[in-house]
Amino acid sequence: MKTPVTILTGFLGAGKTTLMNRVLTGQHGQRIAVIENEFGEVGIDHELVINAEEEIFEMNNGCICCTVRGDLIRILGNLMKRRDRFDHILIETTGLADPGPVVQTFFVDDDMKEKLSVNAVVTLVDARHILEHLDDSDEAKEQIAFADLVLLNKCDLVAPADLDRLEARIKAMNRVARVHRTTNADIEITKVLDVGGFNLDHALAQDPQFLEPEYPFEWGGIFHLPAGTAEITANANPDPSMRLVIIPVAGDGEEALAAAREAAVRAFSEREDVPSAPSGSALAGDGKLRELILQDGPMCWTFDVPREGHYALFTEHYPEELEMQVMAGGGPVAASPAAAYKPDHEHDETVSSVGIEADGDCDGEKLSRWLGRLLREKGTDIFRMKGVFSVRGQDKRIVFQGVHMLLDSKPGEPWGDRPRRSALVFIGRNLDREELTREFRACLA
Amino acid sequence: MPGLTEKPAAESYLGATKHHVLDDYALDARWSHGGVYLAALPSAGRPVVLDATGTPLAELTAHRGGNASLAWHPAEPVLATVGQDSVLRLHSAPFGRSTREIALPRGWCERVAWSPDGNRLAVTSGRRVLVLDADSGEVAATFDDHRSTVTDVAWNPTRDDQFAAVCDGGAKIWRLGKKSPSGHFDWGGASLLVTWSPDGRWVVTGDQTASVHLYDTTRKTPLHIQGFESKVKCFAWADRGDRLATGGGSVITLWPCTGRKGPDGATPIQLAGHLGAVLSMDFFPGRPVLASGGADGLVLVWLPLQHSGPALLAKSEAEITSIRWNPGAFLLAYTTSAGEVTVGALRTKESTSDSLPNAN
Repeated sequence: MKTPVTILTGFLGAGKTTLMNRVLTGQHGQRIAVIENEFGEVGIDHELVINAEEEIFEMNNGCICCTVRGDLIRILGNLMKRRDRFDHILIETTGLADPGPVVQTFFVDDDMKEKLSVNAVVTLVDARHILEHLDDSDEAKEQIAFADLVLLNKCDLVAPADLDRLEARIKAMNRVARVHRTTNADIEITKVLDVGGFNLDHALAQDPQFLEPEYPFEWGGIFHLPAGTAEITANANPDPSMRLVIIPVAGDGEEALAAAREAAVRAFSEREDVPSAPSGSALAGDGKLRELILQDGPMCWTFDVPREGHYALFTEHYPEELEMQVMAGGGPVAASPAAAYKPDHEHDETVSSVGIEADGDCDGEKLSRWLGRLLREKGTDIFRMKGVFSVRGQDKRIVFQGVHMLLDSKPGEPWGDRPRRSALVFIGRNLDREELTREFRACLA
Repeated sequence: MPGLTEKPAAESYLGATKHHVLDDYALDARWSHGGVYLAALPSAGRPVVLDATGTPLAELTAHRGGNASLAWHPAEPVLATVGQDSVLRLHSAPFGRSTREIALPRGWCERVAWSPDGNRLAVTSGRRVLVLDADSGEVAATFDDHRSTVTDVAWNPTRDDQFAAVCDGGAKIWRLGKKSPSGHFDWGGASLLVTWSPDGRWVVTGDQTASVHLYDTTRKTPLHIQGFESKVKCFAWADRGDRLATGGGSVITLWPCTGRKGPDGATPIQLAGHLGAVLSMDFFPGRPVLASGGADGLVLVWLPLQHSGPALLAKSEAEITSIRWNPGAFLLAYTTSAGEVTVGALRTKESTSDSLPNAN
């Protein structure tokens, strides 16, 4: 039985020490050893808190993936030689630490790999100040990119709408991580200690759109409208403005919505000269983007419907967020079909996640060759990779985890009667979704 | 080894064993000069001194926070121990009643080692190596130019003023009285273990990667050996340094270290028999007989130059963490991760019960 390790990262002042104190004093029934990276070196004391100076061991081939934390190997090696073993080990990194070498230590070093397993990387984010660092600090981005769990802390100091935007940005960088909002790092300790690594079913349960592509809008639907004038009404303003497009379509099925979605993506790609549309103004069902100016209280826009037919509407918010309705023929009209989309607004330009899934089996050899080549060539930019694969000839799921160029795989649960499918996610810098998807699909059996 | 020519049944050669259980995982066990005493060090709790038969004589004071290393004086019954409390203890007979405590500067202590003449002790302390005068207990010199925590130190067996220390950046050779190292073998990575050949020629490091580096101190040439199954965890020298055994994976490799080039270009002997990582090895004094213990719980003995298979001496449920031949008799001591210390008498034509070193 391997001893679980939780790695706690976060920028200076994010609340790591507060959380650490909660863990140390909490009534969770677990014997937890804590390793803190502070400056100044002292040995173990009886309080189970070990202070150690961060020591990066770089290997002579210059490969960043072989960089490990020598201090952890030494300290944990000693801890694992105690009869009175710990139930859990918690490693707190310094605010400016790159989580890579910490995680890699458990992939690279034989002894660490044999006796310990990374349960989770937990990243504390100072909700009030993180934006000051997120644009110009590689460490802040990498700490979020590496996270299995993000604690958005100091939420009492930030307005809810700003928190929503910040959470959306974090999710755009790392779609796998769970996000909890906290104040004073106050969270049930089991939520921090029992993350349990990557679980595809959990990821999908938490975020059904986890593996879907990102879109520049959150919602789309098709309305059947009579000829005449239609109205769009709204009563709430989650943002000062919201972009929208109305597109005439040939029918009302899923295929029609998918075709309209592609047209909407092209329309939303227009970023300049988008006409503003204050309440009371007229819109058009012409496939062109409009920016609705939102205000307090009731709002209404009109648009001309030249002939009876189907019209697709795509918006940056869900209709319920604005209390939005489409009115025509003397009453509200329901959308059918309608779909929610994973939005990509607030997207970070450099660090992002790419999720891919496919039904059926992979060819094990092709998959292995592709992952090997991919991580070898682009491992520097891939912070983490996680996947659950259905491999032809294998009764069990094959679970992969990667850190930069390092890859580890093990058999998971048997498939049983459940439909066989594969899913993987990359978190990293400058990821090319189309290329990754195409290459993965080439590995299908 | 007389009588040890073919693979025997278990326990054919190790009889009259005696067990003692330490407070915790046994880090190491060492025989004193002449094999009169055996000291065993648990990771936490009380170090124990036993007589040559394996009978405990005394329990010593535990280091607060955990024990780290022990070393016997090269000629006298004085045992040095260090631990995470940054205290050096010198235990003399009668053990348990005569102990000197020397407080060291705070720092992570990994190793203590006596100089060959027994006048000095080298103690690693964080990124420093402290050299203490054994009589006064005073720090005689501090060597602090190390890139990371020093994890091992080894004296040159042929000199009383020279030692090697390893850390990130490889090995440094220090001489007392000199401020800068007389040798720095930086191979670009971290070294964790160091051993110095009995003839003083080779400094050998076990590295963070699955490799060892050998430095010929007479020519100052480094030799990099890689391709090991995993990190090298233990060394053993045969004779005066003619052969070096390396262990870490399941296969023991025996390197010839004679001739101008040493192991460079030579074909090593590989000894396969363990089912897990080899954690400790020891050559019988003066004979090419190697004992090995591993994570598989096996205690094996080898006649490597006869290319015969190993003989199984014992099997434990726990990992064999250290294995030591008594220098004065046919006795083998080994320790386990479960804290057991076992001393067994080797049954050979030459061994007799009345040849045991006497503690009285």
